[in-house]
Order: sequence, then structure tokens, then C-alpha cells
Amino acid sequence: MNQTDVIEPIHETMEEMYVNMGPQHPSTHGVLRLMLKLDGEVVTGVTPYIGYLHRCHEKIGENRIYTQVIPYTDRLDYLASMYNNFGYVLTVERLMGLQVPERAEYMRVILAELQRIASHLIWMGTFGLDLGNFTIFMYCFREREKILDLFESVSGQRLNYSFYRIGGMPLDFPESFLTECKAFLEWFKPRLPEYDAVMTDNIIFQKRVQGLGKLDQKTAIDYAISGPMLRGSGIKWDLRRNDPYSIYDRFEFEIPVGSTGDVWDRYMVRRQEMDESVKIVEQALRDLPPGEIMGKVPKKLRPPAGDMYSRVESPRGELGFYIVSDGSEKAYRYKVRSPAFVNLSVLPVIGPGHLVADMVAILGSIDIVLGEVDR
Amino acid sequence: MTVTQTVFFLMAALTTGAALLVVLAKNIVHCAIALVLTFFGVAALYVLLDAEFLAAVQVLLYVGGITILLLFAIMLTSRISARGVKIMNEQVGMSALVVFAIFALIAFASLKGFAVVGSLPPSSYATASLGRLLLTTYVLPFEAVSILLLAAMVGAIILARREREKD
Amino acid sequence: MSTLLEGFYSAFAALGVPWIVPRLIVMLVVASLVIVFISVSVMFMIWWERKISAHIQVRYGPMRVGGWHGWAQSIADGIKLLIKEDVIPAGADRLVFALAPMVVFAAALAAYVIIPFGPNLIVRDLNIGVLFYISISSLTVVGIVMAGWSSNNKYSVLGALRSAAQAVSYEVPLVVSILGVIMTAGSLSMIQIVEAQQRIWFVIPQFAGFLIYLTAALAECNRLPFDIPEAESELVAGFHVEYSGMRFAIFFLAEYANMFTVAAIATTLFLGGWRGPLLPPWLWFLIKTYFIIFVMMWLRWTLARLRVDQLMNLGWKVLLPLAFLNMGITGLVLVLRG
Repeated sequence: MNQTDVIEPIHETMEEMYVNMGPQHPSTHGVLRLMLKLDGEVVTGVTPYIGYLHRCHEKIGENRIYTQVIPYTDRLDYLASMYNNFGYVLTVERLMGLQVPERAEYMRVILAELQRIASHLIWMGTFGLDLGNFTIFMYCFREREKILDLFESVSGQRLNYSFYRIGGMPLDFPESFLTECKAFLEWFKPRLPEYDAVMTDNIIFQKRVQGLGKLDQKTAIDYAISGPMLRGSGIKWDLRRNDPYSIYDRFEFEIPVGSTGDVWDRYMVRRQEMDESVKIVEQALRDLPPGEIMGKVPKKLRPPAGDMYSRVESPRGELGFYIVSDGSEKAYRYKVRSPAFVNLSVLPVIGPGHLVADMVAILGSIDIVLGEVDR
Repeated sequence: MTVTQTVFFLMAALTTGAALLVVLAKNIVHCAIALVLTFFGVAALYVLLDAEFLAAVQVLLYVGGITILLLFAIMLTSRISARGVKIMNEQVGMSALVVFAIFALIAFASLKGFAVVGSLPPSSYATASLGRLLLTTYVLPFEAVSILLLAAMVGAIILARREREKD
Repeated sequence: MSTLLEGFYSAFAALGVPWIVPRLIVMLVVASLVIVFISVSVMFMIWWERKISAHIQVRYGPMRVGGWHGWAQSIADGIKLLIKEDVIPAGADRLVFALAPMVVFAAALAAYVIIPFGPNLIVRDLNIGVLFYISISSLTVVGIVMAGWSSNNKYSVLGALRSAAQAVSYEVPLVVSILGVIMTAGSLSMIQIVEAQQRIWFVIPQFAGFLIYLTAALAECNRLPFDIPEAESELVAGFHVEYSGMRFAIFFLAEYANMFTVAAIATTLFLGGWRGPLLPPWLWFLIKTYFIIFVMMWLRWTLARLRVDQLMNLGWKVLLPLAFLNMGITGLVLVLRG
């Protein structure tokens, strides 16, 4: 494993220039600060500095009762709030041994996969922005807007939904949702080839991302990389398939993998995952059973003493929640394993040796959300 | 004094002033920018001599090429541009003497030495006739210069290559 | 035109005013007309670009200011920039910082001297015509480097360095690509080049040259996919990152003015200049020029940005050999035809 030195501007010499990228920079996707060591335009070293968005999320989680934590999980990965809710309530439910009604499970999967599409859309748009293609950004936001409209009709919220509950779902889908959701999917499917025309098939785009930021399988595993980044390196590992939670074992879908682990592979994995998510939503909509949406849950949640780690495949990778309960209404210890934080840790290894412009592309391909990195 | 003369003296003053700034400015980037001005002054003098082609080439090569590369080099060595450069040393008296001697020589030569050359060709044909001359009468020196440039280029590439192998 | 001018001059001469005075007046009037034209044209282009980008991106763009499709948006923006505070960073080299936008704008303005809007609508038909444009446009880079260095900001220095490297590499294919036209027309003068296209526009025999010119010209005016000197996502805004208010507006003005120049030169050299049926010559010229500008904007809003090394490779390894090949073939054809 490469050991990388921490880069501090005090070491600046005549030949090397140190550039502070961020925390206010258009391409750091939030308040990330990168210290770049440059030789001309070539990056010879990079150190990410994080913590500008730290909110003591885990400590807050230990001082609120279990239900009250749900809104806080929204703010972790604010581009995939549904998934954070999902992971958190799943952990508490497993800790308490709660059964979730069938219909609620289907609702969860539908919303979660729509959320995955929305999150990947944002990623694709901002990635295009990083590479100087502004138009794809607008296209992606148009589609995401429709997903947000769907979410709004369900939960009343457009960004921080807080919609999952321990033991089920608080509200059923509104009557119009099923038709609207189907209409959206029908509308959305022909849009994907449009993105291909603007991005995937564009020779400039291909030349910009192919062969960049290669992450080999060993390094990926050593650094505990997960999600599309890991699959981009050619490892077929998707928690929806390898460690099924909820009802994911009932759906048919492919797990796209890359081969070389470069930025292009990561791009293709995310691009194809949108196709697969559409398939999952379609199957779930088809099979959606009628019935209860909230299981039998005691008024006061007091999980039995013990601990539980449970993980879900968020759009960014393995999102894990670890809760230690002492039998009271509040968690004794609460820990979030955020995929973006872990994935970002590999940047000092795959970043050096590239140009500044490639650095931006590599950072974009990691798909970080600072709300989750800093917690 | 005719208008041409007025413009000539203005331009000459500008060129000399900028040239003095090149050697006297403390900041090396200021020197380079003053150099741009000097080249422009020279180009203006060419225009006054009806040598428009030469003026355009002067700007193209010296401003667009050489000065840019100069600035490039200055900025790549980032610390030089921030620091002031020393402009005087112990040889200042000696150089002043040499400079004045050369100035006197040129002044004497221009006042006494040259007779008026024959009439100039009309300016509209200058470019075409220049091109014709370069490819007929002066084709040998022209080719010799290009070989010299080629040699310089090859040399530069070899130097740059060797640098890279070292690290 | 010329008889009118003669009359103007002689009227002054009859009054006993030195002959320089009326000529200075004429120069001033022409210069002001050019500046007014540039400002109006640039404001139109900015509004137009916003509209084009909006429609490419399935949105409307400016719709409010001025009523009809936000036509007054650029004017409002201009006024806003004019009345903004003029910020000069503490660590900046004040003199160079203030001079840089002027240098860039002067270069952009000077290029308008040789643009032939119509048979008589040219400021000065220099016999070095195209060469004048090529040499004066190299001054832009000096301004950009001055701006980048004087801001005392690492991003702007990087942007300036990129800009210098890009300009030096793309000037060569740009010049060589138009040699074919010059050889065919047998003149550097813009008017004579247009006259030479009486039978056929040069875009047909010189199609390769046209494409190379257009590509290199995009790089010359730092437009996407070659906007590497200001690459927003990498260098924030490159060389003008520290500029604000009116100084920034001048950079912006110069950039769009350059775009117009580049398109106008392409029109003159390849698209037959002002030639065209029915409509008046100046209108034809503007239509063709704005069409090329439209193509440039279209490219900008569809393509991603190239990387620095790819840009250099494209310039030196693809465009330059092609341009030389084009020049060689043109020369051969001309010699064989006699």
C-alpha cells in the first residue's frame, strides 16, 4: 500500500507549487479542501482536509430517542436521504427484531431505487460540469426534478424526506402515485440514450476519462472501497445481491462492473445502474401488494441490550449503521460508516501523477457528499 | 516639422523610454512588459518607413512569440517574479563608457556616413516583392537561416529530453 | 464615401484649419463608431448565447428584463457591472492589474480595423490585411498573462500559463491554415480576398483550411472545448479570477469582441465576405458572421473541455500537419494550373 505524506504548504519549494483547492471551489462538491502539490500542472501529491461540515451527527444520535434520529440521518447524504432513512430504520428494526409489512417493504424499495436514480443523476450532471459540459447538468436536473415531484407527492418534502419509520412507513402512496411513477419511468427510459449521445458517446468525453485514476482491485479492497467505485474496479460486490436486505432478493437486476477501475469504468457503472434501478422499480410497482404499511411497534422504543451493525447499498456504497443499545430509549453508541468518507480516503493514492484537470475528474468520479464525509 | 516627423519623434521617445525601463525596472515582469512596449515602438517605426509587412512580423514574432515565452519562463520560476532584481553592479561605469562610445559612433555614422539610398518601391508591392526576393535572389541565405533554426530546435529538444531522463 | 471625405477635408482646408484637424475628427468618429458597434454587438451576442444555451438545455433563459424575451438583460448586466465596487486585491501589482484589461481590449479593438463589412465599409484596407489581424491578436495573450500574474493568485497564474501555451501553439496552425486562401487569392488585403471569391467561395476549395481555421480560432478565443485558461471547474475562472466589476466586464467585452473578429475573418476568408444576392452587402456579412458565431456557441454548449496535453497534441500533431498538407496541396494545384 502506498503511504502518502501529508501535504502542508510550509514545505513549498522553488520547483513545486502548493495549491489550495477548496473549501470554496466549484469542483470540490461542497466544503472539501484539497492540498495539491503541483509540478507545473502535474499533481505530485494530494491531501484531502475534511471537517468543514462536521455536525457531531453521531453524538447527537446518542442523545435523541430512536425515532428522533431519523430526521438527522436525512442530512448525512443529502442527495440520497431516502437511503439514509432506510439504512437507519433497518438497523433499529433488526436490533428490535421487528417485522415490516409487505407493502411497506415494496414502498421502501421503490422510493430507494428512485432515490438512487436521482442521486446518480446529480452525480452525472455535476461530473459533466467538472469536465466542462454544462448541458448534461441541466438535462439531469430536469429528470431529477420529476423524481423530486414524485417524492413530494409522497412525503411532502423535496430533499430531506424523513419518510421511513421504524417498523414501516408513515403514509401510504397517494392514489395518483402509481400512474405518475409509471408515466415517469416511461418518460425517463428514452432519456438515458440522450445522455449517452451527449456524454458517453462523445469522443472528447471518452478521451478525457479513460485511463484516469486507475484503482486496482487490491488497493480497492485494502481501502475498503465500496459501491460503484469498487464495482468499477471489476469486483462484483453489491449488498443488494451479496447481503440482501429488505426484499431485494425478489428482484431481477444486473450488477454492472467495470474492468480497469478508471474513471470511465466508474462512470459506466453508475450510468448502467440507472437502467437497473429502473428495472427494479418497474418490478416493484408490478408486484406491489395491498395491505398494512405499519407493523406492530411499541409506543416507546426500547431495543434490548446488545449491538447491531447493518448495511445497505446506498448510491455511494456500503452505508452502515452501528448501534449499541443498553436497553434505554436512546442509543448507547451510534456510529455511521459512510461510504463517501471511506472512498475519499483512496484519493491520495489514485490522485498523484495526473494533471489538475484530471484531479477534478477523479474527485468527481468518487462521488462524495460532504454531509456524509464529515457527518 | 511635418506630421511624420512628429510621430517619429514621439515613437522614438516611447521606444527609448520603454527600453530604458526594461533595463532599469526592479521587477522582472515589469521589464518584460516594458519590452512589449519597446517592440511595439519599433514596429511603429517600421510603419513610418512604409515597411508594414516588417512591422506586422515584428509584432507577431517578438510580442506574440518571444515575449510570451519570456513571460512564461519568468512565471514558471515563481519566486523570481516576486523578488526585485539587482540592476546595478560594480561594472556600471565601464558599461556606461562602452554604451556612450557606441552611441557616438552610430550618431556620427548616421549624420555623416550614409548617402540617401534610391527611391523605395511603393508600399503596396512591398510584401509581394519581399517574398519574391526571398525565394529568388536571397534563397540561399534564407535556406541557411532555416537550417540554423532547425539545428537550434533539434538542440533544444535534445536538451529537454535529457532533463527528463535525469528524474 | 471617399468623395464625401474629400469634401469634408477641403471644407476645413478652405477655413484655413491645419490639415491634421479634420483627419483627427474623422479618426475619432470612426473609432467611436467601431466601439459603439462592438458594445452593441457584444451585448447582443451575450443575450443570444444565453438564449441558445437555454434552448439547448431545455429552458428559456432570460425572459423578464425589457419585456420581449428579456432583450434588455445584457444592458441591465452591463449597468450592474459598471456600478459595482472596483476591488483590487491587496497583494496585486496595481499598475499591471489595471493595465491588463486595457491591453486585452485594445488588441480586440485594433483587429476591427481590417474587417470589411462591405465594399467600402472598412476602416482601412491595409495591404498586409490578414497578417495585421494575426499579429495584433497575439497582443491579447500579453494582456492575459499580465492579468494572471498581477492578480497574485496561483489559480490565475496557472490560467495565464495555460493561456500562453495555448496561444503560442494554436497561432501556428491558424496562420498556416489561412495560407491556402492567401495563396489562391494572391493577396493579403481583405478587400482583394473577397474580390477573389467572385466565382466560388473559398470554403469549397479550402474546406480543410476552413475546418482547421475554425478549430484553431476557437482555441484562440478561449472558447469551449478549448476554454482551458479559464476552466471554471479546475481553475475557478483562470486569469480573471480576481477581477470584478467594470474590469471584469472589459475582459468579457474583449472575449466576445474577439469572437466576432474571428468569425468575421472566417467570413471574409472562406465564406465570400459580403457577397450574396438581394440583401445589402453589410447585412450578408453580418448574417454569415453571426452564423459562424452561432456554430461556436453551439459547440460550446454540447462539448466537454479538453485536457491541456490533449489540446497540445491536437494543435501540434493533428492541426499543424494537416494545415501544412493543405498548404502544400494548394500550392501544387496552383502551380499545375499555372
